[in-house]
Amino acid sequence: MHRYSFILTRPLQFVPVVFGVSLITFILVRMIPGDPARVLLGARATPTAIANIRAQYGLDEPLWLQYVYFLRNLAHGEMGTSIVYKIDVLRLIATRIEPTFALVLCSVLLSILIAVPLAALAARNQGRPVDHAIRIVSTFGIGFPPFWLGLMLMMLLAVRFPLFPVSGYGDTLGEKLLHLALPSLTIALSLSTVLLRSLRAAMVDWLKSDVATAARARGMPEHIVFWRHVLPNSIAPSINLLAVNIGWLIGGTVVIESIFAVPGMGQLLVRAIFSRDYMVVQGVAMVFACATVLVNFLADIATVFVDPRVKL
Amino acid sequence: MSTPTPGAPLLSVRDLTVVVRGAQGQRALLSRVSLDLGKGEILGLVGESGSGKSLFCRSLVQLLPSRALAVTGGTAVMAGRDLLSLSEADMGALRGAKIGMIFQNPSSHLDPVMRVGDQIAEGLMFHRKLGRKAAKAEAIAIMTQVGFTDPARQFASYPHEFSGGMRQRAMIAVALACDPDILIADEPTTALDVTIQAQILKLLMDLRDQRGLSIILITHDLGVVAQTCDRIAVMRQGELVEQGPKRDLLARPQHPYTQALIASHPSMDEAAPTEPPAPPAPPRRPLMEIDDLHVRYPVSGGLFGRRRSFSAVAGVSLRIMPGETVGIVGESGSGKSTLARAMLGLAPISDGHVSFDGDSLRLKRDATLAKMRRQAAMVFQDPFNSLNARLTIGETLAEVLRVQGKVARAAIPARVEELLRLVELDPGLAGRRPRQLSGGQCQRAGIARALAVEPRLIVADECVAALDVTIQAQIVDLFRRLVATMDLTLVFIAHDLAIVRHLCERVVVMHHGRIVEEGACAEVFEHPREAYTAALIAAIPDIDPDRPLHAPPAGALTA
Repeated sequence: MHRYSFILTRPLQFVPVVFGVSLITFILVRMIPGDPARVLLGARATPTAIANIRAQYGLDEPLWLQYVYFLRNLAHGEMGTSIVYKIDVLRLIATRIEPTFALVLCSVLLSILIAVPLAALAARNQGRPVDHAIRIVSTFGIGFPPFWLGLMLMMLLAVRFPLFPVSGYGDTLGEKLLHLALPSLTIALSLSTVLLRSLRAAMVDWLKSDVATAARARGMPEHIVFWRHVLPNSIAPSINLLAVNIGWLIGGTVVIESIFAVPGMGQLLVRAIFSRDYMVVQGVAMVFACATVLVNFLADIATVFVDPRVKL
Repeated sequence: MSTPTPGAPLLSVRDLTVVVRGAQGQRALLSRVSLDLGKGEILGLVGESGSGKSLFCRSLVQLLPSRALAVTGGTAVMAGRDLLSLSEADMGALRGAKIGMIFQNPSSHLDPVMRVGDQIAEGLMFHRKLGRKAAKAEAIAIMTQVGFTDPARQFASYPHEFSGGMRQRAMIAVALACDPDILIADEPTTALDVTIQAQILKLLMDLRDQRGLSIILITHDLGVVAQTCDRIAVMRQGELVEQGPKRDLLARPQHPYTQALIASHPSMDEAAPTEPPAPPAPPRRPLMEIDDLHVRYPVSGGLFGRRRSFSAVAGVSLRIMPGETVGIVGESGSGKSTLARAMLGLAPISDGHVSFDGDSLRLKRDATLAKMRRQAAMVFQDPFNSLNARLTIGETLAEVLRVQGKVARAAIPARVEELLRLVELDPGLAGRRPRQLSGGQCQRAGIARALAVEPRLIVADECVAALDVTIQAQIVDLFRRLVATMDLTLVFIAHDLAIVRHLCERVVVMHHGRIVEEGACAEVFEHPREAYTAALIAAIPDIDPDRPLHAPPAGALTA
C-alpha cells in the first residue's frame, strides 16, 4: 500500500462518525429546556397557535420519528428550516461559513508566525535571558482569558489608537482582513503560547540529539544544523497539538465572534440557542463537528508528509 | 595490508587535558593524554565506558558533549595547525572535510526525516561547493564504494528503510563524502550483529587500503582491535595506560589493567568448565516444554487494510530439563527474545504449546501463570530501565518478597541483605536508587530481584550485552556460581557466542524464528553441522590477530 493511500480510504471512516455526531447533536438539542413554538410566538400566545406551529415544524411527532425525518432530510442535503429566519438552515449556514473560516485560518497562520520564530530564538538560546523572557511572556499568554485579552486589544488598538475597526466585518477582501485583524490576534496570542512551548521543548531536545551532533561532525554550521535538521524533526509532535487546538478554536469562535461582532457561525449559534432554533443549532453543531474531523484528517496528512516513517 | 608509512605522524596529540566544571570545583576527565596517528594507520583506542576514549576524540574536533566540559591543556597538531586552538569557523571547515566521524548508533545519528543521499550530498555541497547534480553523482559513487547495491535508487531512501548494517554503511558514506584524512569511528559495530560487524570492519580496512585513510577506532572489544588495528592504545579513567603495536601489546601486556582486560575477553577456545559427569539421573519430566510454538504479530491492518502478520517465532520445539543451563543464540531479529518472553507468558502464543512443569500455558493460562510467577523469573537487558527508578534497591527487593509472601514480613530486611550478599553486592547499597549505581551493580540488583522469587527457572535476556567486558565476565561468573550452588535452571539468551560457550551446557541456535541447530555447547561450537552456525562462529573477531576474520558476503546470511 502506498503511504498516502489512506487519503482515499480514510474518508470512509467519516460516515459512522458523522452518523454518531448527528445522533448526539439531535438528542442534546432536544434536551435544551424550553419550547421553540412558545419562543417564536411570545409569552401570550394561545394554545391553538402553539399547537399549529408545533404541527407545522413536526415538533408534535415522537422523538424517534423526528430523528428519522432529520436523517432523511440530511441525506437530501437539507437540515430543515430555521424557525426564526424562515429559510433553509444549510443556506443560512452557507452565508456564515466564510467569516468563521477566515477567522480560524488567520488565527492559525498568525500563531504559527508568532510561535515558530520565538520558539527557535528561545531554543537556540536555551537558559539565557532571551529564553527566560520568552517563556515568562508565554506563561502570561496562557493565563489571560481570551475574552479579556480581546477587550484590552480592542481598547488599545481600536479605541485609544484607532488602527483597526472596533468590530464587524467588511465587504472587500482588504476590509475583511482589516476587520479580522483584532479577533485573529486575540486568538493567536493564546494559541501561539501552547504551540511555542511544545515547539521549544522539541527543538531543545533535537539540538542535543545525535542527529545534530552528526551534522556538526560533518562540519555543518549551527544555522544549517538548526533549520535543516532540528526544525523539520521538531515539527511533527506540534502538528497534532495544533489540530486538537483548532478543534477547540472552532468552538471558541463563539466567544470571539460575539465580542467583535463577526457575522460568523459562532454568532449564529449563540442567537439560535437563545431563540430555541433547534434546526439551526443542530446544523451549526454538525458543521462544527465535521470541521473538527476534517482538521484532524488534514493533520494526519501533514504528519505523513513531514515524517517519512509514519504509516497510517 | 599496507604498513603505515614512516615519517611525521598525521596527527600528534600531546598532553590533552579535559576537565568538567561542577559545583565542587573541577575534575579531570582526561589527564595529559599523548598519542600519535600515522598516515594510513588504524589505531585502536580501547577502554571501558567512562574511560574517556570517546571524549578524547570529541575534543579533537571541539564537539564536547556538554558546556560544563573544557579543554584546559595540550595540543593536537595536524598539518602544522593545533586543532584545539582553532576558531569555530576554521574547525567547521575541517570537520567533515579533513576529519570524518562515525558513531555507535547509526539509527540515532542519521536524520530520520532526510533522504540518506541528501545527507551524504550535504557535506559535498557545503565543503566542496558542488552543485546539486554534481553532489548527487559524487554521493552515488561513494555509496557504491561502501557497498550499496542499488545506489541510484537508495539515494532517495530514508534511514528507517535500511537495516542496521546498511545504516552504518550510510553513516560511513556521509563521513567519507569529502575524502577526509582521518576517520574517527566511535564503537562503529557495537550495535550490530557479529556477522554484520565483520562486514563493516572489512569495509573499514578496505577503505584504508584504497584511500590511505587513517582511522581511530574506538571500541571496548579487544577482538575487534586484534583483527583490524595496527596499534593499540589502552585508556582507563581518563589516562592512557599503555600503547604499542598490536602484537606486542596483546602478547606482552605491561600494565596490570591491560592484562585484566585481555584475561576477561571471552574466548571461543574456553568451554564451560566440564563438571564431573553426573550419575545417570532417573528420567525426569522437563521443567519447560515448548511444542511447535508460533508467535505472530500483525504488521498492517487498520479498519480496511488487509491483515498480514510477521512470524517472530515460527514453529519452535524445545525441552528444558531441571538444572540445565541452555544458551539461545542468534542475530537480532532471529526471535530469541520473543521466544524467551513467550516462555514466561509475556508474549502472546499464536499457536503451539508452552508447558511449565507439566501445565500448559495455553490450556490453563491463569493457573499456569500464577504458578510460573512464583517459580520463574526474568533478568532483562537494560539494567537501569528494568528497575523502578523511584525505588531503592532494597525497596524493590522487599516488594517482591512481600508480594510472594514466602518470607515472613519481619524477616524481609534480613532476606534482602542475604540476597544482596548472594549477588555479591554490598548490603549497604540497599538504600541507593538505580541511577546511583553502576551498570554492573544494577544488573546484580536485577539478578537479586529474580532470585528473590526463589525461582526454579531464570530466563536472562541479553543481560550482559550492555556491560563492559570486565563486568560481563564477573556477571557470567556470578551466574555460573549461582547455577552450581542452587537448584536452578537457566535459559541464557545472548548474541555473543563466546559468552554462551563459557556458561552453558547446551546451546540452541536460532535464525528467522526457527531453531537451526541445537546440541551440547562443545559439540556445536567445535563441529557445527549447519552452515549458518559455522558462519556465525567464523565472524567472531578473535583476540589472536593471526586468526583472520571471516566476513560473510553481504546479504548471504539474510537471505
